[in-house]
Amino acid sequence: MEFPTDENVIVGLDRADDAGVYRVNDDLALIQTVDFFTPIVDDPYWFGQIAAANALSDVYAMGGTPKTAMNLVGFPLEKMDISILREIIQGGVDKIKEAGVVLLGGHSVDDPELKYGLSITGFIHPDRVLTKQNLKAGDKLILTKPLGTGIVNTAIKGGLASQETIERVTRLMARLNRKPAEIMSRYEVHACTDITGFGLLGHLAEMVTGSGQSIRLLGDAIPMIPEAREYGQMGFVPAGAYRNREFREGMVEFGRSVDRLTQDILFDPQTSGGLLISVSRDVSEALVRELKSDGVPEAVIIGEVMSTPEEKIFVQ
Amino acid sequence: MSREIDCRGLACPAPVLKTKELVEQEQPEKLSVIVDNEAAKQNVTRFLEYQGFVVSASQEGSDFHVTGHAGEETVSKPTPAETAASEEVKQKIMVMVGNDRMGHGDDELGSKLMVSFLTTLKEMGDELWRLVFVNNGVKMTISDSEVLPVLKELEERGAYILVCGTCLTHFNLLEKKMVGETTNMLDIVTAMQLADKVVNI
Repeated sequence: MEFPTDENVIVGLDRADDAGVYRVNDDLALIQTVDFFTPIVDDPYWFGQIAAANALSDVYAMGGTPKTAMNLVGFPLEKMDISILREIIQGGVDKIKEAGVVLLGGHSVDDPELKYGLSITGFIHPDRVLTKQNLKAGDKLILTKPLGTGIVNTAIKGGLASQETIERVTRLMARLNRKPAEIMSRYEVHACTDITGFGLLGHLAEMVTGSGQSIRLLGDAIPMIPEAREYGQMGFVPAGAYRNREFREGMVEFGRSVDRLTQDILFDPQTSGGLLISVSRDVSEALVRELKSDGVPEAVIIGEVMSTPEEKIFVQ
Repeated sequence: MSREIDCRGLACPAPVLKTKELVEQEQPEKLSVIVDNEAAKQNVTRFLEYQGFVVSASQEGSDFHVTGHAGEETVSKPTPAETAASEEVKQKIMVMVGNDRMGHGDDELGSKLMVSFLTTLKEMGDELWRLVFVNNGVKMTISDSEVLPVLKELEERGAYILVCGTCLTHFNLLEKKMVGETTNMLDIVTAMQLADKVVNI
């Protein structure tokens, strides 16, 4: 299919990235993204927050500042009380307020299955757009949130998770990627994305494809939600993790010490996951220190970019 | 007591939950779970193994039958899901060539041995992962090297040939390099960490 385009499109449909970017003038470009999904937690207020954090994340991953938002709602009016919708939207509104974003409007339809999400518009300087491309040999890779939300959410659906686990993971998913985005803007960052449905390895594979580089990941260094291991072992691995593996396993080589469960967590689809930042090695330690001391405690170096042209991901 | 449940048409985590319910309520000696997708097959297998069952799976058409037998004494042992993927893993061998001769003593003999070594290297098969040339070794990769065809063949078979850039510059041979990728010390060190075996010649 051919899509309309013009010379001001900086990031468009020709290469899948986190959001689209359009140049307004030499000093300003717009970042646009839209994201919505069905409930992942029972609590409507928290579902609203998570949906908003997830939609905002695409703007942060491009290095931009989100400015305005529009609600998208699908709601089963006959089956559910309207107060539920009010709570969902309250959650979304509170989250965008936290991000310094204003709500300009929205649209809702009657829908047998509840859905909520937002379209977000952000600003960025046209020369400072961060995409998934541009990995540089020697770069260190930093991840800002632990993995495993897909597995834990599957266990929550199965009624297995404790209230404490549910709350902790809910907060993690509702946490904005604003802090890491602001902090990384002061460092020599070459590429960035946020970890969502394709899992860490799926999103890394997108970054590696066409880069002429390879990746070395340190399996032991990658932060994971502790309960994800237990639930994974009990068979609560979402179907998406198996699909992600099937799609990308040709690009990934696991060392002997990387057990199957760890592999599944690396392929686990994330909801509102962290940022994956490729940063010049000389400043990588300083960036991690600043992230850790300023509200991103799980931030850690998980691997590095190697200038070997096979475009593979080696996990050790 | 043997039980069978049909979980076809159910998406994860429902098949695991149905299996869990059956195991907890009836504690069967043997049970068979029918599922119709790979994710459910693997998840039910894991769940039963976690519960101490000995599990086997078979495919019938588009369905999978996952069968579990209660183990004798269910001592907790590492399940197949915990150990690394069982398919044979080939090792990654990295060979470092630091000279254009092999061994010390007679230089003429050393040169012949190096040619013979590089020619014979293909016997490693696809376990030869990286072939790295440093110092005088880079002279094996330039236009008048006797082993050039041999190295190109190795490269075609999938081995990566890396040639030290600093060394090529030192000998003023950058333009004469005919095979492999120019590399730096950082790459060499990372490759060493990734390799299962590093052989230094």
